[in-house]
Amino acid sequence: MQLKIDNLTFAYNKKEGNIVENFNLEVQKGEVVALVGVSGSGKSTVLRLTAGLEIPDSGKISIAGQTAAGDHKFKAAEKRKVGMVFQDYALFPHLSVEKNIAFGIDHLSKANRKARVRRLLELVNLEGFEKRYPHQLSGGQQQRIALARTLAPGPELLLLDEPFSNLDAELKDKIRRDLNEIIKDVGVTTILVSHDREDAEFMQAREVLMS
Amino acid sequence: MQLLKKIKQGSPGWFLLTAGIILLLLIPNLNIIINLFGKAGENWEHVRDYLLINYFQNSLILVLASGLLAAFLGAGLAWIIAAYDFPGRNFLSWGLILPLAIPPYIGAYVYQGMFSYTGPLQTFLRNDFQLQLSQQYFDFMNIRGAIFIYTIFLFPYVFLMTKAFLSRQSASLLESSRLLGKNDSTIFFKIILPLSRGAVVAGSSLVMMEVLNDYGVVKYFGISTFTTAIFKTWFGMGDLATAVRLAVMAMLVIFVLLFLEKLLRGGRKYSYSTSNIRPLSRRKLKGSKKVLAQFFCYGVFFFGFLLPTIQLLYWSFLSRGGELLGTLNFALTSFLTGGGAAVLILTGAVIVATTARMSSSFISNLLARITILGYSIPGAVIAVGVLLFMLQLDQIFLFLQTGFGIEINLVLSSTLVMLIFAYAVRFMGIAFNSVNSGYQKIGESYFEASRTLGKGVTETFFKIDLPMLKPALMSGFLLIFIEIMKELPLTMILRPFNFDTLATKAFEYASDEMIYRAADLSLVLIFFSTAAIYLITHHRRRKNNAVEN
Amino acid sequence: MRKLIVLTVLIGLVFSLGTSVLAAEEVNLYTNRHYDTDEEILDRFTEETGIEVNVLKGDSDQLIERIAREGENTPADLLITADAGRLHRAKTRGILQSVKTETLTQNVPVNLKDQDNYWYGLTMRGRVIVYAKDRVDPSDLAGYADLTSDQWQDEILVRSSANIYNQSLLASLVSIYGEKWAEEWAAGIVDNMARKPQGNDRAQATAVAAGEGDLAIINTYYLGKMINSDNPAEVEVAKSLGIHFPEGKYGTHVNVSGAGVTKYAPNKKNAVKLLEYLSSASAQKYFASANYEYPVNPDVEASELLQSWGDFKAQGINLTELGVHNEAAVKIFNRVGWQ
Repeated sequence: MQLKIDNLTFAYNKKEGNIVENFNLEVQKGEVVALVGVSGSGKSTVLRLTAGLEIPDSGKISIAGQTAAGDHKFKAAEKRKVGMVFQDYALFPHLSVEKNIAFGIDHLSKANRKARVRRLLELVNLEGFEKRYPHQLSGGQQQRIALARTLAPGPELLLLDEPFSNLDAELKDKIRRDLNEIIKDVGVTTILVSHDREDAEFMQAREVLMS
Repeated sequence: MQLLKKIKQGSPGWFLLTAGIILLLLIPNLNIIINLFGKAGENWEHVRDYLLINYFQNSLILVLASGLLAAFLGAGLAWIIAAYDFPGRNFLSWGLILPLAIPPYIGAYVYQGMFSYTGPLQTFLRNDFQLQLSQQYFDFMNIRGAIFIYTIFLFPYVFLMTKAFLSRQSASLLESSRLLGKNDSTIFFKIILPLSRGAVVAGSSLVMMEVLNDYGVVKYFGISTFTTAIFKTWFGMGDLATAVRLAVMAMLVIFVLLFLEKLLRGGRKYSYSTSNIRPLSRRKLKGSKKVLAQFFCYGVFFFGFLLPTIQLLYWSFLSRGGELLGTLNFALTSFLTGGGAAVLILTGAVIVATTARMSSSFISNLLARITILGYSIPGAVIAVGVLLFMLQLDQIFLFLQTGFGIEINLVLSSTLVMLIFAYAVRFMGIAFNSVNSGYQKIGESYFEASRTLGKGVTETFFKIDLPMLKPALMSGFLLIFIEIMKELPLTMILRPFNFDTLATKAFEYASDEMIYRAADLSLVLIFFSTAAIYLITHHRRRKNNAVEN
Repeated sequence: MRKLIVLTVLIGLVFSLGTSVLAAEEVNLYTNRHYDTDEEILDRFTEETGIEVNVLKGDSDQLIERIAREGENTPADLLITADAGRLHRAKTRGILQSVKTETLTQNVPVNLKDQDNYWYGLTMRGRVIVYAKDRVDPSDLAGYADLTSDQWQDEILVRSSANIYNQSLLASLVSIYGEKWAEEWAAGIVDNMARKPQGNDRAQATAVAAGEGDLAIINTYYLGKMINSDNPAEVEVAKSLGIHFPEGKYGTHVNVSGAGVTKYAPNKKNAVKLLEYLSSASAQKYFASANYEYPVNPDVEASELLQSWGDFKAQGINLTELGVHNEAAVKIFNRVGWQ
């Protein structure tokens, strides 16, 4: 079991009530799961909780068999080996594409690092973009770089937050196809969040409806 | 619980550092406030019976009138610069910030000098036209004169904030109003002013705080306000308790103003809208409208910057240059002190703001309030609070040394450390705001992305936050630098031996009516501040261009 | 971790700034004077004695407050301020100590120093009446008391009561005539004012020249400054004014700027040396003329300009009285509405 969530409950603000309540989820290794629901249904919050960006009020999260949150324990985001592609990509604007991708793997030797960056750029079909800066890329290119950056450290779990919301219809089809290919290629366990059930179908993902 | 959660999420080191900084900022103020609970000073009744109403009236008139006029002037100019295009607009968009480079007390001396009987205007009329008008036409040293001085030299606070706000507004807003058949003045009063209310009020509350804290202008003009009263009772009568009471009343006025500000802003916060919106497009002005806009903008620039500068140049010429070497020496002191202190203050502010970002909104609001406290307290009060604190520290060091034989050999009072610490108490709020608004612009996702990529809070700070904060830090640094260059009461009271800045020296000469000698120093001071303003505005512009490309 | 190291280094740096390096022989001077010629005098003192002088300049009142707050740990050795009233305040705040040497007794006349030798006057000025030469016949003038008479209705220009010179003037009148008389006098002046008090003494003198009133109460040195001004218009103003030294039984109100050795002076011996030096004939001439003031040392002549104004008779009171009655004076001002 790659991810196990038990009775997860969370509120940003006690007054506004729980945004996530007694949520349960199990994800097998290599599986692609889509959390689908309208905005405000807490689907993005589940991602944030899984990534360690929020601390649950109660419940338990285990990743690859290890407790990430619950039982009075809390593993910080940087220790969870969970990768996340943000809705706005969050590419560091002051770093080149190469440095963005290498950001999470600076424990590797320089040669290994370079090789891995090159391999990832190949994977996302953006060879030769090493020296560019994020603002010189189109929206679709930015997303692929963000994906490459996230995959670089080899995460146990890949989280995609509304990966298609910022794209126009034409681009969307191509991106969905590319993304699907890359994920299947790497074989990484993936959870994606979307308000559109079509996305889930397209990605051949197991749908989990949230309300 | 929420707090605990956040501490876990962040890093305890940051919280501890922040707690330490906040404590340091609070102690000097507490030192003073404790005096409030003692018995009333011996002069309190006398002050209350004969003087208080006068202080209150004068302060209120000055603060409200200057705040209001600065609000209209600043907002109007910001609107013209943001919405119209005409020759000179590019220059004016930063030239209209320049009045901020001239400290109000220097402005006051200059204007009084210009209009006085022995000043150039009247001398000219007298000698060349045999015209001797009644002095009341030239009477500058009254409340009206002070309001003029504050308005013309402080309005850029409103201008800056409103202009920044307007530049983030959508063009369609204006275009739709125009399509609905509204003319420009209706749009300004019905759409722009209500829309930018938050920014205008925020700017004008800065103006009001500066006015309430000002000592130089009111002292020179002989107007009794809370600040002069604090100086008078404290240093004149040696009655700290009464002075503290007055200071607390002044603070109450500030709190009422801040509360009003919140009310007027309607609880709305700025939203840093994304770059998706199409910014205001400027309309080209033609004919009489163009001339009118130019006349107005250049007129303000003339009275707020050009005229005083020219007058100072003339005086500097009359005094035959003064001592160049001495002036350079003071300039160096000002420059190093201002620069060094600004770096330290900014470092503290970055620590606090980084913690605030990791905290709940309650904590971060609290931190913002505490850091701005020093800005709302009269400088003299901070000065003595800091002095007391440093003396207490020295006592502790002495105790450790004699009691335990620990070799410390450290004396903080009467050193530069004391002065810089006082600057920190006073200007931490400005620094915090700069860093915080930088953080708001950056948003959270870079921080979070870095965390999910395996970097801890501290590593993320150095690799991501700090480089991305650079523009905010740069403008924060320059703002504080300008403030410290102009700062007077703290420097006057707390400076170490053999220490003169451009501001203190200029003030000494000016208050001795050696205005001609003060002119050189003022000019250098204005030059530094102007350069800083140029750097702020043009740095931002380059940055903007880069993003647009 | 790296951050911690950086921080420690930073703090260490700040603290190392804090420790002041102490020279072998020095004296620390807290002063409100800021004339360029002072530096020369102090340099000469260092040359003659080998004692370094560290100067901390500031507003007199704030310096007093600072020394009081610094208490036993004050680095200050000698305090110079511009008014006897303030020197007295320093004495009553307990921050000065009594010093008596033969040289000082010889150099400073007995009425220009503290009764108990806590401070010594160094330079002297008069608070006089100036009048418009073209409108006022000097023979109509008859001292301070006469200023409240009807002939000067709306003719008197004088600065705000927040100013210590006015406070000391009124204190001297309280000392001579009593509090009741002084209050009536102050009320009479308020009645006769040409305008609300504004600006400093120089502004009052200028207003006389501009015709806003006929008389102004100012300190003598302001006239000296105006005559030597870089601005030709100001010189003209000064030339149009006549100077009236109140005479009669009680004479002209004089005041001093002076100095006292602080109670906890770490370098007392050097402080006394400096005080003696400043009162000596060789320093007095420059020290006084820097601000167009009269030297206190009877062996030294006033500058030519001051001599040209003629001799005058000073109020006979000991200047300690100015401090004693300062509070009464301030309260009178507030009661009669002298702003």
